[in-house]
Amino acid sequence: MKSTEQVSHSALGAGARLRMALRVFWGAFLFGRKGLIVWDSWEMWVMQIVITPIAQIGFFALLSIYLQYPSSVTQYIVVGNAIQSMSFAAVFAVANITSQDKWQGTLPSTMVTPANRIALFIGRAWFQVLLSALIAAAGLLYAATIFGVSFATADYLGIAVTVLLTSVAMTGFGLLISAVGLYMRTAMIVANIFLFVTLLLSGVNFPVSVLPAWLQPASWAIPLTYGTQAVRMAIAGSSLTALLPTLGWEALDALLVMGAGYVLFTGFENLSRKTGRFEEY
Amino acid sequence: MSQHSPNSGLAVEVIALTREYTTRSFFGTVSRITKALDGIDFSVKTGELFGLIGPNGAGKTTTVKILTTLLTQTSGEAYILGLDVRKDLYEIRRRIGIVFGGERGLYNRVSALDNLRYFSDLYGVDPVTARDRIPQLLKAVGLADRADERVEKYSRGMKQRLHIAKALVHDPELLVLDEPTIGLDPGGARDIRNMIREMQKQGKTILLTTHYMFEAEELCQRVAVISKGKIVALDTPSELKKLVRDISVIELRTYGATTDYVEVIKRLPNVVRVVADLDSEVQTIRIQSPLGADLLSQVTSALPSDAKIIDRTIKEPTLEDAYLRLVEE
Amino acid sequence: MGTLSELTPGKKTEGYLARRGQVLKACIVLTARLFFADPQWIIPSIIAPFIFTLVAFFLFGGQTSSPTFLLYLVLGSGLMGMWGTTIYGSSNSIGFDRWNGTMESTLAAPVPLSWIALGRVLFNTFEGVINALFILVIGLAWFQVGFGVVSPGLFLLASVSTFLSLSAFGLLMCTIILLSRKGGFITNSMEIPVYIATGTMFPVSILPIVVLPFAFLLAPTWGIEAIRLSALPGYTGLATNYWTDLAILAAETLAYLGLAFMLFKRVEAYAKRNGTLEEY
Repeated sequence: MKSTEQVSHSALGAGARLRMALRVFWGAFLFGRKGLIVWDSWEMWVMQIVITPIAQIGFFALLSIYLQYPSSVTQYIVVGNAIQSMSFAAVFAVANITSQDKWQGTLPSTMVTPANRIALFIGRAWFQVLLSALIAAAGLLYAATIFGVSFATADYLGIAVTVLLTSVAMTGFGLLISAVGLYMRTAMIVANIFLFVTLLLSGVNFPVSVLPAWLQPASWAIPLTYGTQAVRMAIAGSSLTALLPTLGWEALDALLVMGAGYVLFTGFENLSRKTGRFEEY
Repeated sequence: MSQHSPNSGLAVEVIALTREYTTRSFFGTVSRITKALDGIDFSVKTGELFGLIGPNGAGKTTTVKILTTLLTQTSGEAYILGLDVRKDLYEIRRRIGIVFGGERGLYNRVSALDNLRYFSDLYGVDPVTARDRIPQLLKAVGLADRADERVEKYSRGMKQRLHIAKALVHDPELLVLDEPTIGLDPGGARDIRNMIREMQKQGKTILLTTHYMFEAEELCQRVAVISKGKIVALDTPSELKKLVRDISVIELRTYGATTDYVEVIKRLPNVVRVVADLDSEVQTIRIQSPLGADLLSQVTSALPSDAKIIDRTIKEPTLEDAYLRLVEE
Repeated sequence: MGTLSELTPGKKTEGYLARRGQVLKACIVLTARLFFADPQWIIPSIIAPFIFTLVAFFLFGGQTSSPTFLLYLVLGSGLMGMWGTTIYGSSNSIGFDRWNGTMESTLAAPVPLSWIALGRVLFNTFEGVINALFILVIGLAWFQVGFGVVSPGLFLLASVSTFLSLSAFGLLMCTIILLSRKGGFITNSMEIPVYIATGTMFPVSILPIVVLPFAFLLAPTWGIEAIRLSALPGYTGLATNYWTDLAILAAETLAYLGLAFMLFKRVEAYAKRNGTLEEY
């Protein structure tokens, strides 16, 4: 058998490193298609894309009807929940990456490789970006067809860009929580709480202005808050240009979240190496 | 409760046992049927230490699962202590203890003591008895001083000893040990084997599956070799070794031997089989041949100049040699 | 090390009820130990219910001046907390064994799986009750509402009955877990539909007619009605009376139990035929 020539990692040029990172990203993406949750049956797809979004939207819509709010409020709530329904796939499933790796015993094997961490984990999560965007799009479809939200003046380009950007941004939040999972026993409980928090703080069921003033900055730290706002504007007819300020803030927020995620990741990776917690689940 | 009538001296009786696994596609249609067991027959006498050996995927674990009532057979019969595995599940489970090899099977976030108390209750051990028996078990397996620690802090060897304690907590008549020494260091494995001997001396019947031929040879009174779902041989280790009595084994220990050298040896006339471990700094090559010492000069002359033989021994064939012949033919 | 020859012989517990009681106790104790062994138990037990209450509070908006409405809100949140913990905890009680690698050890025990599941479900539902109490206390303190229920005795009876019906329902959901490794995901997805159908936050009378049969088949629907009738002054709800609600609740709970025990046997046999029980 021929031996492969080993080249020192640090001796590689920037181009070679980028190619390696892209290769890691693509490999991780293909793995992430199947690796995160069991998507190998039609029941799971139906559950995630049909049943759960309709149930969530329906719950809050019915609550609004029971409270005898005007239909504009009900529609506000429906659209907010349609977008928020992406959170399970974008946040929860992504936050599970490190926990699942720990449980399977593959985290040490992964962390011992020289693979670029950003490429690796973003690659794993990227499938969830696509899936969560699909779920949000399905949610908006149900809003129109089941819950009577009018899309007569909607700007579909604005909606599409908002949904995709929010999906990327919320997945970034999932990766941030996943970094916590490197050190804590499980990130899932934190992710679970975060899902509740988005219901409260992200303008899903009521405007952020309803919240106490001291709580509102927390709302604007969550990308979903901008997403719900932008989607409502787009449905009402605002063009993509008009959405840019909101989307700009969301993009900036997403970058900050991802930056924080990277810092946390590196910090927790080092901490786990010191304390030997890569295998504790 | 159904009772199989003949042969009350048998702890385990397996008759034409077959097991098929069905794999299904995305939409639930059958895509493949795999036969894991293909009509196997064997029996284990009361008080015997019986070994079941075979390569990965041969059907050992499937056999164990059927006998321990965790899996039903597709066809055939199996009786444990005279009880039918299909019908008398709970009575069988009350009277057998099982050790699954490996890290899983314990509640890692609670202590060894809590694990044993839990399983003791599940197996219906009288609480007053358990109060005495559990500490005795922990002492017997060498875990008494760490009984209150979470199992997740235990080494692999310690977990395996706890598995043994767990299997014994309800004083079973039959023990099924599924690869109990897998992954253990030599000291830990030796401790487990000593415990197995001791359990047999207590009158327990033991069914042991293992990859380690020397372990089967050392412990078992009889061994069944299973390959591709069929029993290919069943006898005492010494009788099984007679299957290869026509050969001797040359064992070489070398520096610098490569796969090329092994291929050359394989092509020599009268070489029956070559098993080589080339991964270590010192390689071990076992050559089976009827020529025995007469083959040595050919083997030595075939050695490349940059390699060196540091030791050569002519050995009697072992159970492993017999096993290799049985599973590879 | 000691020696295996010095062991006290393993005497067994006599009597069917004593053995079953022993199993229930063991499973409750183990589930409790595992629950408290995870330092993050405080999050789903306290923090999550608190956030839930806040969401409901802001949703209810201008209605919060009415003490009765506030009590309605707090009861509803408590019930949702109880439901959520029951659904998640119950589906996880067997799924946990799969994930933990102890499924084979559990199955190999000489006791029907239904009894092991029942012990775990009882603890998980009890945990849900604790969550509900936390929500109640936090809600009452936050909104400064007195706990002036109409009839404390009837309220307690309705609450205990609802708790038992949730345990029975949780046991039934365990069978779904045994059937499929996606079972946990399926039962978790039931969470919101069940909140809707059992009228935790709004009466089932406002639901579309097609949903009503499903709502009425859920025993906790009647439990929630009984709780509201005994707690909220002037509540009429489904226009049934308290004792009718309890009777339906009891009948349906017994039906769940019977179905669950029957299904457990079938499910065990099915899973052993296919060898899928340990797969995660």
